Amino acid sequence: MELSEYVQSGLQILADSGCFSPSAYTVLLQTAFQSLLNAQADQVALDHPVLKHIDPTVLKHCHAAAATCILEAGKHKADKSAISTCLEDCKFDRERIEQFCTEYQKNKDTLELILGSIGRCPLHITDVSWRLEYQIKTSQLHKTYRPAYLVTLNVENSDSRSHPDVSFSCTMEQLQDLVGKLKDAAKSLERASQM
Amino acid sequence: MLLVLSEEHKEHLGFLTQVDSAVVGEFGRIAVEFLRKGTNPKIYEGAARKLNVSSDVIQHGVEGLTYLLTEGSKLMISEIDFQDSVLVLGFSEELNKLLLQLYLDNRKEIRSILGELAPKLPSYHSLEWRLDVQLASRSLRQQIKPAVTIKLHLDQNGDQTTKILQTDPATLLHLIQQLEQALGEMKTNHCRRIVRNIK
Repeated sequence: MELSEYVQSGLQILADSGCFSPSAYTVLLQTAFQSLLNAQADQVALDHPVLKHIDPTVLKHCHAAAATCILEAGKHKADKSAISTCLEDCKFDRERIEQFCTEYQKNKDTLELILGSIGRCPLHITDVSWRLEYQIKTSQLHKTYRPAYLVTLNVENSDSRSHPDVSFSCTMEQLQDLVGKLKDAAKSLERASQM
Repeated sequence: MLLVLSEEHKEHLGFLTQVDSAVVGEFGRIAVEFLRKGTNPKIYEGAARKLNVSSDVIQHGVEGLTYLLTEGSKLMISEIDFQDSVLVLGFSEELNKLLLQLYLDNRKEIRSILGELAPKLPSYHSLEWRLDVQLASRSLRQQIKPAVTIKLHLDQNGDQTTKILQTDPATLLHLIQQLEQALGEMKTNHCRRIVRNIK
């Protein structure tokens, strides 16, 4: 786990009990996790009373350093020993390392979920709706008498914004073809998961 | 149901009595060809010269014939009704038979051409799929994230478009389930009853 100079110096300040009392450390640590994992946390609670006496610039530096460290650990799926080594190098004492690792363990899954969802992908299908109609006549042709399906695929962009749906019509045979192919895909998924 | 022909229409078709049946057959062929590919005025001029009449007369004759065929096909009128509709024109027995044959021979094709004129949504053409597993991204290493990438081919007004879509295994199974339900609907009593009774 490689951390930049800036991050390392921030962590070193955080490790110093002269700058951060134990309660201040706890609050900052929790704040760092919350700001990453909680989507509503735009107002990061760096104005907690316990942190009042610390210089705001220093606070921001340490908060950014802690957040970066958390993200790097999450990105590389670092285990406890990797994180411990890293924090040791930044002069954290045993107790503070334990606290960090416990807090990390608590939030690890959510962190990985969020990191995993960042990225580009083709339009993602989220749902499907369908309509079955029986065509009787058109302005150009009477007595058509055939069933038709209208299928709408609900799709989402990679940043979870919705995108106009993909709609198309098909006959019963075409729908059977479509379903058949999807079932092939599902079967091959199942086989792959058993390998 | 009988076809109602206007006076003008009857007049245009009247020209057909002045030519022999081979020519009527030829006009019929031209009419269907025009339906398939669009009109070509040069053909009128060629025929006009050969038959020694103005090209307007030829055009009206062919158009009248076209209207007869398309209206009949659109409404899917029966043989008897077609014969009765044509009777009012006062043509010879031979010409009536010829027109009926022209109608019956070309009806299916004309109906499929007319069918393409209806307002349409993009329609399904085919689908290709691919199984992918995402192993890592810039923000997260060591992943195992399966996904199915789908290339959906659609037709719209003769143009083929392609959409690239992706879905996860759970959604894929959900899609299959929903669409199988859709297919099953045609077999229910309700749908069967409607298909049987609307004719």
